[in-house]
Amino acid sequence: MQVTMKIFRFNPEKDTKFHYETYTLEAEPTDRVLDVLERIKGYEDGTLAFRRSCAHGVCGSDAMRINGRNYLACKSLVKDFGANITVEPILGLRVIKDLIVDMNPFFENYKKILPYFITESPIPEDGRERLQSQEDRERFDDTTKCILCAACTTSCPSFWASDDYFGPAAIVNAHRFIFDTRDEAASERLEILAETSGVARCHTTYNCTVACPREIQITKAIGEVKMAMVTGKV
Amino acid sequence: MSTTKSRNLSLTRRGLNFEMLMWFFTRLTALAMYLLVIVGVVGALIMGARTQMNIADLLRWAFMPNALHVQNSNIADIAPWATPFWKATASLFLLIAASHGLHGLLSVLDDYFVRPWQRQAFRFIVIVLLLAFSVIGVYVIWTS
Ligand code: FES
Repeated sequence: MQVTMKIFRFNPEKDTKFHYETYTLEAEPTDRVLDVLERIKGYEDGTLAFRRSCAHGVCGSDAMRINGRNYLACKSLVKDFGANITVEPILGLRVIKDLIVDMNPFFENYKKILPYFITESPIPEDGRERLQSQEDRERFDDTTKCILCAACTTSCPSFWASDDYFGPAAIVNAHRFIFDTRDEAASERLEILAETSGVARCHTTYNCTVACPREIQITKAIGEVKMAMVTGKV
Repeated sequence: MSTTKSRNLSLTRRGLNFEMLMWFFTRLTALAMYLLVIVGVVGALIMGARTQMNIADLLRWAFMPNALHVQNSNIADIAPWATPFWKATASLFLLIAASHGLHGLLSVLDDYFVRPWQRQAFRFIVIVLLLAFSVIGVYVIWTS
């Protein structure tokens, strides 16, 4: 099928303002949007810049706005968008070049919630694993799936308003540790998330849940964090 | 192993916080407003709204049980609608709605204004507005 791709372009060395460029090319309906982008970069216009690494929905580097919604280009099939596809960078982060945005504010927010295992209790007697029941593991299973692609955070109106908000991805990763029985810093994380820039900025818009390419129930996870904050139960 | 290890975090360790309290307050006041609307509707129906009032007047009353709001309906005797009970209900509604709504406004402003002095200034303005609305509103309810 013939596909017309309209791509957001911005070159900081030449442009003062962004513009769109249109490319028309043959593609299979089962091609991924990423394949089409690769073809454009490889055969039509080598100046096109975008991030990608794994091309299999694992690394989280190719989140972009396709026809107005956040997706991973490597997990989006051309046939799901039709013959006219518009590709733009994710919103709320500064554009560095074309589809590449500055992810620093995103990762700064991620770091704030202490996204690592914290424990003070001694290593188990046998010096091996800290065991956990299947039910306990189940508790935070959904939020372990996050690949930090920023599709959720950059779909959030509160984050568009200001990157001072930690954003859904940071809260999802806080959830992953708060509800882990082996971790012992839940109180600390809840205290951090109770700041004005924390979960209070979530107005349950649900954009994040829709945007997540890993289908994490993000708004639900944020709700669980809010409840934990009030009840103290994790 | 098949038990779920539910943990309780003490309030002192996780911290008592304005945002957390207000989040909880917002949920409670929302439920309280539903309850007050139901009280208003049921009360109105008992007092004759079933046959003497249209739905628009009934809803107007339900959301603010002030006797002035039934003047234009077919209600003959307005006295039962102007009792201290209804004035107290109306006052409660006003206080809850004003604090709930103004906190909502504050949380929208917090999205856009992130400097500490800006947030402080808006908190101050919202508290002044809340006090003004409450005092004027309650005064009007009890003197009209
Ligand atoms: S390229 Fe790795 S997630 Fe798409």
